Amino acid sequence: MDPLVHLENAGVSLGGKPILRHVDFSLQPGQVAGIAGPNGSGKTTLIRLLTTLLRISEGAGSVLGADVTSDEVFTVRPSIGMIGHNPALIDELTLRENLVHVVRLAGLAEERVDPVLDVVGLDEASDRRADASSFGMRRRIEVAHLLLTRPRLLLLDEATSGLDNSARELIDALKDRTIADGGGVVMVSHDHQRLDASCDEVMALSSGRLESAR
Amino acid sequence: MSFWNQSLEIARVDLRVERRLGDTLRIVLPFAVVALMVFPLSLGIELATISRIGPAVFWALGILFGMQVALRLSAADTQERRDLHALLGVDPAARFVGRVLSGGVLMLAFLVVLFIAMVLIYGPTLPSGSWSTVLLGTVLFSIGLTELGTLAGEITAGLRNRTALASLIVAPLALPLVIGASQSLEALSRGAGILPWVLLMLATDLALAVIGVGMARPLEEATR
Amino acid sequence: MTRIRVLFGVAAAAMAVGLWFALTAPPDALQGEYSRIINVHVPSLWLAFLAFGVTALGSIMWLWKKKQRWDRLASASAEVGVLFTGIGLFTGMVWGQAVWGRAWDWGDPRLTSTAVMFFVYLGYIALRNAVDDPVVKARRSAILGVVAVVQVPLVYFSVNLFRTLHQTQSIRPDGSTMPAEMLVAMLVNVAAFTILYVALMAARTDIARIEEANRETELLAGDAVKPPKLSEVGDV
Repeated sequence: MDPLVHLENAGVSLGGKPILRHVDFSLQPGQVAGIAGPNGSGKTTLIRLLTTLLRISEGAGSVLGADVTSDEVFTVRPSIGMIGHNPALIDELTLRENLVHVVRLAGLAEERVDPVLDVVGLDEASDRRADASSFGMRRRIEVAHLLLTRPRLLLLDEATSGLDNSARELIDALKDRTIADGGGVVMVSHDHQRLDASCDEVMALSSGRLESAR
Repeated sequence: MSFWNQSLEIARVDLRVERRLGDTLRIVLPFAVVALMVFPLSLGIELATISRIGPAVFWALGILFGMQVALRLSAADTQERRDLHALLGVDPAARFVGRVLSGGVLMLAFLVVLFIAMVLIYGPTLPSGSWSTVLLGTVLFSIGLTELGTLAGEITAGLRNRTALASLIVAPLALPLVIGASQSLEALSRGAGILPWVLLMLATDLALAVIGVGMARPLEEATR
Repeated sequence: MTRIRVLFGVAAAAMAVGLWFALTAPPDALQGEYSRIINVHVPSLWLAFLAFGVTALGSIMWLWKKKQRWDRLASASAEVGVLFTGIGLFTGMVWGQAVWGRAWDWGDPRLTSTAVMFFVYLGYIALRNAVDDPVVKARRSAILGVVAVVQVPLVYFSVNLFRTLHQTQSIRPDGSTMPAEMLVAMLVNVAAFTILYVALMAARTDIARIEEANRETELLAGDAVKPPKLSEVGDV
């Protein structure tokens, strides 16, 4: 079976400085990989590399079958989902309007918005503006979006930081559903315990290099 | 979602945000009207001259304040939102077109109100056919300036001094638009044809559209 | 380095020859000694447009080939171009003021286009200075280079149209009515300035190449962040 992600001797430089070096990484369908590392070790850079939004400076690789050094990546991006540090919501729109915007751009039916708002527990709060909503509420909208778009590769960058238990469980449910659909998940966190409990394999980023932590 | 639907959706959301924020019509426009009043007061010139220079002052302020309108929309774009659009498979060219659509509508509304204010404050003698000429000029001017502003906004995205830098990029390159728009009215008052000026603005708009669409993908890469 | 020294040596010799021609050519009957400014003004404007064209070419080639040498070429030409554009504009204004009593000639589309180019170059350099990452810097400035190469001719055309329809004649001579000796002097200086441009470009691209090579593998961000000394927190 072809891996969902395959990086070989990949390196990324930003601002002329190397952030990641000689990264070898592979993710199989149905696998949850965890990446741990201290602040500034390059975890977010690695996640952005996996989204294909960042290009490698050296090495080779593929994400969902697309060569990461070519424009093939444009075709696979709709199959990649990410929850990053900051929710990508438009402050002046309501939570519902933000979700409708995403649904329309994804080419999905608007009728699916209300049922998924109910699933994530925001059916009664969705008319609040994003800038008047809590961090947890905005995170739930991101989860709602990913529940609808069903990405094959799910990337979680400190996704559960600052969330209450029910929101964390929602993200776990999203992760489990992605695996059940035959996709793969990469989780980045400082929380080693959580990674150990959730992941099939945990790797550590140190000095820009990825090593197995187990 | 098709290219045009993506563009329209981006334009729709931009205009909805602007309707709620109201910066263009509630802040930039009044500021521009104040600037209209500052000119004759600071120059200390007689009424006949004031009424003659009115249209020229309008176009000069149109470009200076219009730049702010054009840059505002891309200024509100965060890196997270750009990433989200990219991961949703939004064509970068569709983003450009959508921004130009929403910016163009805002710019047009801004300029129409500013023109009316200029007519009231400066009392110019306008030849017959002026309003349709001004409207045509304003539409082409708005499209071109918005295209330039969107390009400049993207080129300077995320940079510390982006407002000043983007303005420096836009202002000199917008000269064909200012010349075309102002000279079309001038030509009308001399009884001459406006076609050369309209074609000049059209050529500028088309050239910028081709660049904007053609450079959309490299620009998206450049803002990472 | 030897190559660059030779180039500067040749440029210095060419400039000396050009200066000799400029000072020994007979002055214009109407403009007098002020006409000699043409030997700096015209070559500077020629180089301004040449440098702009090279920046545009470098930008397009970078976007196509993604090789850093094209970015070095484009940025070096922009910097040298600012210098010559500034000299061209300044000498033009001095000449205009001295001979015709007016520093700026609205009837000359070349002058207005050159002024626009000057500000575009300044914006180009300011943009590069605002970005750290070499690839992002190259890409953004290449895109600006492409925008400029389309827009500046439109600026020229629009000012030319303005001049034509307002029947405003440029007050500057177009060169073709010059006496032969003056024309020769001007052409010699155009050649000398071009050699100077090549020498400056060689030096500037060399400096850029050395700067890139010297960008060492510095401390990774992660290596710079150390574990906190928790046992000492209470002593703060």
